[in-house]
Amino acid sequence: MTTITPTEPRTASGSPASSLSFGGILRSEWIKLRTLRSTVWSYLFVVVIMLGLALMLSLTIANGGFNAPDAPGGSAADQAGLFVQSSTFGVFLAQLVVAVLGVLVITGEYSTGMARSTFTAVPKRLPALAAKAAVLFVVTYLISLVAGIGAYFVSAAVYAGHDVSASLTDPDVFMPILGASLYLALLAVFALGVGTMVRSSAGGIGIVLALILVVPTVLQLIPAEWAQDIHPYLLSTAGTNMFAPTEVTGTETLTAWQDLLVVLGWVGASVAGAATLLVKRDA
Amino acid sequence: MITAEGLTKRFGAKTAVDDISFTVRPGQVTGFLGPNGAGKSTTMRMIVGHDRPSDGGVKVNGKHYAQHRAPLREVGALLDAKAVHTGRTAENHLLAMAATHGISRQRVREVIELTGLESVARKRVGGFSLGMGQRLGIAAAMLGDPATLILDEPVNGLDPEGVLWVRQFVRHLAAEGRTVFLSSHLMSEMALTADHLIVLGKGRIITDAPVADVIAGGTGLRVHVRSPHASQLADLLAGPDITVMRAEAGVLEVTGLDAPGIGDLAAQHSLAIHELTPKNASLEEAYMALTADAVEYRTEALR
Repeated sequence: MTTITPTEPRTASGSPASSLSFGGILRSEWIKLRTLRSTVWSYLFVVVIMLGLALMLSLTIANGGFNAPDAPGGSAADQAGLFVQSSTFGVFLAQLVVAVLGVLVITGEYSTGMARSTFTAVPKRLPALAAKAAVLFVVTYLISLVAGIGAYFVSAAVYAGHDVSASLTDPDVFMPILGASLYLALLAVFALGVGTMVRSSAGGIGIVLALILVVPTVLQLIPAEWAQDIHPYLLSTAGTNMFAPTEVTGTETLTAWQDLLVVLGWVGASVAGAATLLVKRDA
Repeated sequence: MITAEGLTKRFGAKTAVDDISFTVRPGQVTGFLGPNGAGKSTTMRMIVGHDRPSDGGVKVNGKHYAQHRAPLREVGALLDAKAVHTGRTAENHLLAMAATHGISRQRVREVIELTGLESVARKRVGGFSLGMGQRLGIAAAMLGDPATLILDEPVNGLDPEGVLWVRQFVRHLAAEGRTVFLSSHLMSEMALTADHLIVLGKGRIITDAPVADVIAGGTGLRVHVRSPHASQLADLLAGPDITVMRAEAGVLEVTGLDAPGIGDLAAQHSLAIHELTPKNASLEEAYMALTADAVEYRTEALR
């Protein structure tokens, strides 16, 4: 330890041409995401929630709870609707986990000081934010998709004994599952943007959860028309309308594509704000 | 090579770094000294672009840090030993840092060995002591095998063996022709490690000179004189470049004239001298003298 080993010539340490690249930053962010226990736990929660709630809801439906399919072999669309309900039911809870994860991905770096290491390696900062967002989006999307498909099979296993069936390849089933995964992935990126702006775990989580849980409820309590008018444009309303059958939310005023645009608007605003502040502020 | 020109950083009404210009040259260890709050860390943070200068600028090898194609290969920085996610292992932290620049897994292994972290590399950083955190910070700084190193208080929290290791390490890096910029509040450590000193006080450069010059020139050479004719001698010595302090009856502390000069002067006037002792100012004294007016947070001397 107290002896100094001579440093090898510069070329000995990997290819001399290697330099900062976006591909490298993506790899770095992927390493960072998967080497934290909190990330692994969060994604495990998402899967457990999606499967568990699918099991609960499908059992309730199958055993004559609300919406009981008492007419075996109701219309194909009705049957597909039941599958969508149970397969995506977990999203209402999983969105909270994903939102918290999105905030923590960046605020965890600020609270520990890791952000300074990140910005030493990527001094232009924006590529680091872009890579973080990309990795978070892809991983969240894939895991939500796997969880959603798993939830379909859980539902299928329960419904099999009750003469309800719908194919996973039926667009009426598959598209909502894709939509639900897309919403969760976009929500994670939205939360990342908020976390980047406030740089505080408590603050970021507070803001994002308030937006998902508190604001919609408060708006519904306001007996003014404008309150009802803006409701469909809330992040969580538009997000869940992207995949939920109309009868679940009962506020369908936009098409699924318009819902997606609304969600993208929220994500864009959050990421733009994050990018602006990230470049402007001292790290 | 680090070049700062008119570098300024203001935080609201407070000016942390006030229009400083300096050059840190390769092949030597440049020490960065100053009292707490003098602006050392802020200056270092501006070099790697963490803080944006309010005015002026600082370049590394002719370019702003962020403009380099491979920043980690240009500059290795240890600015904060705890700039690591506590939930990640040391090895994964280094792998993530290395990945940004396509630096190989082999190099990660090398810096782990270089800093003696083999036994804890697979442990999460949250449980690290300050000393291990410093070693990890140095490992991260060495990842890109950079030609310039910026180390903010690298011996902070290290045990004596670690302090010795850092000292030898930075001397070795400088001997290889690298630029080493090192801050410390341990003046004695600087005397052993640095070749050149930049002393900062209240955001301004007080001194920018070789260590030997700072020691010799800071307070100058001081001579302790004991004579029964002290007051006569003091009058004779008085001059524009010479300061005479009366420490006690019959004792003078003279700066600005060396011992032979004082002896000769006394002999010319037939004044007896009982003691004539040249005193080399230590770097510590030189430093205290330099920064006496520039200390931000002063403690009252114990009575």
